[in-house]
Amino acid sequence: MKAYLGIDVGSVTTKFAVIDESDQLVVSQCIRTQGKPIAVIQQGMRDISRQLPEGTEIIGVGTTGSARYLTGVVVGADVVKNEITAHAVGALQYVPKAQTVLEIGGQDSKIIIMRDGIVVDFAMNTVCAAGTGAFLDQQASRLSMNIEDFGPLALQSKTPVRIAGRCTVFAESDMIHKQQMGHSVEDILYGLCEAMARNYLNNLGLGKEILPPVVFQGGVAANKGIVRAFEAALKTEVVVPPHHQVMGAIGAALLAHEHMSMNGSVPTKFKGFGVSETEYGTSSFECKSCSNVCEIVVIKTGRETIARWGGRCGMWDV
Amino acid sequence: MGKRVVIPRALLYYEYFPMWKTFFEYLGAEVVTTGETTRSVLAQGSARVVAETCLPAKVYCGHVISIAEKADYVFVPSIRSLEPQVYNCSKFLGLPDLVRGTVKESPPVLDIEIDVNKGERKVREQIHWLGKHFTRNPFKINSAYEKALEVDRAYQRLMREEKLTPPEAIARMFGIEAEVEKPKAKRDSRAASGGSDVSILGGGDSSMLTIALVGHPYNIYDTYINHNLMQRLKSLGVRLVTPEIAPEGALDLGTAKLAGKPYWTFEDEVVGAAGHYLDADVDGLICVVCFGCGPDSMMTDIIQRAAKARGNKPLVTLTLDEHTGEAGLVTRLEAFVDMLYRRRADSRGLARASV
Repeated sequence: MKAYLGIDVGSVTTKFAVIDESDQLVVSQCIRTQGKPIAVIQQGMRDISRQLPEGTEIIGVGTTGSARYLTGVVVGADVVKNEITAHAVGALQYVPKAQTVLEIGGQDSKIIIMRDGIVVDFAMNTVCAAGTGAFLDQQASRLSMNIEDFGPLALQSKTPVRIAGRCTVFAESDMIHKQQMGHSVEDILYGLCEAMARNYLNNLGLGKEILPPVVFQGGVAANKGIVRAFEAALKTEVVVPPHHQVMGAIGAALLAHEHMSMNGSVPTKFKGFGVSETEYGTSSFECKSCSNVCEIVVIKTGRETIARWGGRCGMWDV
Repeated sequence: MGKRVVIPRALLYYEYFPMWKTFFEYLGAEVVTTGETTRSVLAQGSARVVAETCLPAKVYCGHVISIAEKADYVFVPSIRSLEPQVYNCSKFLGLPDLVRGTVKESPPVLDIEIDVNKGERKVREQIHWLGKHFTRNPFKINSAYEKALEVDRAYQRLMREEKLTPPEAIARMFGIEAEVEKPKAKRDSRAASGGSDVSILGGGDSSMLTIALVGHPYNIYDTYINHNLMQRLKSLGVRLVTPEIAPEGALDLGTAKLAGKPYWTFEDEVVGAAGHYLDADVDGLICVVCFGCGPDSMMTDIIQRAAKARGNKPLVTLTLDEHTGEAGLVTRLEAFVDMLYRRRADSRGLARASV
């Protein structure tokens, strides 16, 4: 079987997806990035190669996410794409008529507006990560519960309390205040869901025409409480597609497919699953050539430098 | 030897440097500028001023701090109003005081106050007051002023007609090395796109995307604070147009179209340019603003509404701040350019068969 591999290395989790030539998902994998993207890519490659059917040949690789360039040099990518495009392409695969994509990941969130299968507008969260997965994680652990239980518990709320969602610092102090007043955990959790949906729509959704079908993807889409809060705020059904968590990786794989079929006979740059056993070393230094003092990162396999970047002028780039 | 005047390479440098330089040199002064913005320029500037100050003002203070050589003056004008009832942002109004208050070690601040609401006579008085630091001959000051205005018109014309950026036009006029960073690496993909004598705005053909950059020149042409925005777009295969190269009068028309009478002094560079390019033959607009800029936050809203009403002209707003990480900016640029390419492919019936 011939297949395409997509890798989405986000701030919190790293996602892998393999699709076949008819764009159907074969296997997928999601692991925590844990601040070590290269090691996690290697671990994921090992896991994926074990799950793939015998005789699978990878004929195209796409990478996306905030570590897309790093991943690209480690595995040998044919196409390196931004997350907006990857998520849009992934969403269209499952909901071809989608007009709005809400995506909330570990540290960033995006809204993508599409018409007739084409992205027409988008926004990403700016300096503030309020209302992303990392905050929900943190709150769940403060209440010593599993993040998986967050959603179902929030759905049991009868009278949600109002939580300030503008800033996580305020949200947390509001939650603690409400909890000390005696409100139930369910009501506080659903209140938080509402605050997050409100904050998202007020920030990212500002001035955007949010039309159905609305697709909700990214890790946070697993949280049923947030899904319901979005449905209540938007007064429309919110579709959470299957594999919502690995949608960026699926999009990257689809883009790899598109790229390879447009470029005819060019072979893939994929280095093979063996990269999981290669030693990668990274180091960095401050360039002293001018007063910008750029931080240059060097990525090596053995003695060979495979990538070097980070400077403004490009004098170190490989 | 004449007196030495430093003109910081920040804020209104991009608008008026040729004019000011001509004025001072006509009066026998020696004019020097500070270098390009660097990490230490910004770091020193922002360490000195209160946190709420906008990024461009921090950069400005950083430039004044960076003045190493001995100089008689640093020229810091207060441009209050250039058109009746249209005023500048308070940061520009108070710029000389900001510099005096924060950069104690700076050369003596030479400031003038330009406010046309007080009448042409007042403006002349200010010019004469400025000129008197260098000569006692009022006729010479008058000629210097006329000469300066003439050079300014030539500068504007040069940018418009030759499609040059302000740094390129300044280089052309005075033979100063252009600020556009020259690619040094052998394998740099940017190398193809920018030699020093080719304008960054030139070249390309109609198969390329055209994107209009709108915003103040101190945001668009300061390659440090905008993370080399123009070169990045060029290397994504994009042709660029900017406010300065719009036809004469087009920006004022654009402002009138979107906002009626302008409210802010440099509104034409943002609202006016957007008004012009929203209805021009470009694929999309990138609005470049700074975090913490009050006037721009309002102007951005005007532009967003206008773009939305037109429905068919993609617009993205890039907010510059002190981040050294450029990932957010790069992702937005790539996504925006991707979106424009895919729209174009779609409109030509080349929609992705596979997806």
